[in-house]
Amino acid sequence: MTQLAYYPGCSLHSSSELYDVQCKMVFNNLGIELKEIEDWNCCGATAAAKTNDFLAVALPARNLGLATATGLSEIVIPCSSCYSRTLVSQKTLAKDPGLRDSINAELSQKIKGDIKVSSILEILVPKARSGELAAKAVKKLDGLKPACYYGCLLTRFPIDMDVPDNVENPQGMETVLKALGAAPVDWSYKTDCCGASASVNDADQSQLLMSRIFTDAVARGANCLVATCPLCQFNVDAYQAEVGKKFGIEKQLPVYFITELIGASMGLDPVEMQVDRHFVDAMGLLKELNLL
Amino acid sequence: MSSSVLKYETAASTSLLAEVTRRSGQNLQACYQCRRCAAGCPVGEETGVTPDRLIRLIVLGDREEAVNNLLVWKCVACYTCGTRCPNNIQTARITETLKQMSKEAHAKPLTPRIADFHSAFMTSTRHLGRFNEIEALAIYETKTAIKELSQGKVKAVIDEMIGQARLALDMMKKKRLHLGVDRIKARSEVQALYEKAKGR
Ligand code: SF4
Ligand code: SF4
Ligand code: SF4
Ligand code: SF4
Repeated sequence: MTQLAYYPGCSLHSSSELYDVQCKMVFNNLGIELKEIEDWNCCGATAAAKTNDFLAVALPARNLGLATATGLSEIVIPCSSCYSRTLVSQKTLAKDPGLRDSINAELSQKIKGDIKVSSILEILVPKARSGELAAKAVKKLDGLKPACYYGCLLTRFPIDMDVPDNVENPQGMETVLKALGAAPVDWSYKTDCCGASASVNDADQSQLLMSRIFTDAVARGANCLVATCPLCQFNVDAYQAEVGKKFGIEKQLPVYFITELIGASMGLDPVEMQVDRHFVDAMGLLKELNLL
Repeated sequence: MSSSVLKYETAASTSLLAEVTRRSGQNLQACYQCRRCAAGCPVGEETGVTPDRLIRLIVLGDREEAVNNLLVWKCVACYTCGTRCPNNIQTARITETLKQMSKEAHAKPLTPRIADFHSAFMTSTRHLGRFNEIEALAIYETKTAIKELSQGKVKAVIDEMIGQARLALDMMKKKRLHLGVDRIKARSEVQALYEKAKGR
């Protein structure tokens, strides 16, 4: 078993606990143990950035210190928002030793060196390319036509930096799913914003944004959406029925976490992966495609 | 957009531009108004003021309009504008800065609900070290409800409560509502960071 440091973030410990469970199951099957870092704190998400520049860097920095203390060389962060905030904090501190010292002064586990911060795609894509993923599959994802939804934060960052995928037309999820026999559709809204917390505090705005995403996915003939970010997944799943009604979109699409589809191909139990906890039913399509 | 766009006062411009440039870390003067940002901004249609306009307002020194327009509050920080800008100007950093400036000036936020949401999020994470959906939503909903009730917006409050209750019920059904409270051990360490943030 290889070990990777792991930061679940608040989402995976609350409303998206299913994603935490699935990540561990799928990675385990690939021979990777996810070691959750001890006593991590919330990264502050967008709210910190909007309210205080220092906290936006300092909160993820504490987690980087904890991750470094594990002695592991890489940390996986499934939530795009946590991933983005943590990477930005790391890059900012690398350029600003004064700020780094000031934050380190408050930390019991100091930030030093630079542990590699990865999204789950950065681990999965190389395994898809090498054939390792396909080798673990017991079923092909035949008939699955996903619209891969990346949202904002996987490819766009508030600072200049190298992005591990194409910024306007990322292919990471497609690479993984194609390796397992699925036929992802080409579509135009894969990196469009769903409105994030606007779903709570500015509903009209976020529903308009989501309606464009659903309309295009349906028009392209997708039979499901796939996400890697718990926030993106939650929004387009939980609000889909309401948005559909408001904008006259009749078809509803299940919104899978990529781990659920990889898991299904590996023959992992969907109920154990908690696929039955979606808002738009996600078990039906798996059954239809003989993936249960 | 207001007619104030046509006014240009050197002194006002220099100080506002310098402040926003320094705090946002964005080189606003590099903007040549090509509007690639505007084309990609998902909220632009609703806000009227697009990233290019916002930058123009700042360059012209219109402090009032720069802080008080819908883009500052409705920007969803999707980073599309900055990714596409040929001059690497990240408008989300500018809207963040303007929001902070507005708060410091004790100006009334144009969209109090959005401001209250972010502040509820931060209150909750400071308290526990982790984000608690229920606590943050409770703080947010209470703040919003009290404010709106005091303005006589009874219907808005009732609609909001029904909407939230429906989502909560859905979440409960799908076993997505997490009722436990996660808190970290080293809360004092996180709180020390919050304290330090105040002095900056
Ligand atoms: S971004 Fe969200 S999920 Fe990630 S740590 Fe912060 S609150 Fe938690
Ligand atoms: S798509 Fe929505 S949830 Fe995902 S990163 Fe963008 S705003 Fe956040
Ligand atoms: S894309 Fe950049 S240069 Fe062009 S108008 Fe927008 S901010 Fe200015
Ligand atoms: S970051 Fe804000 S201003 Fe820029 S495109 Fe997104 S919503 Fe518009």
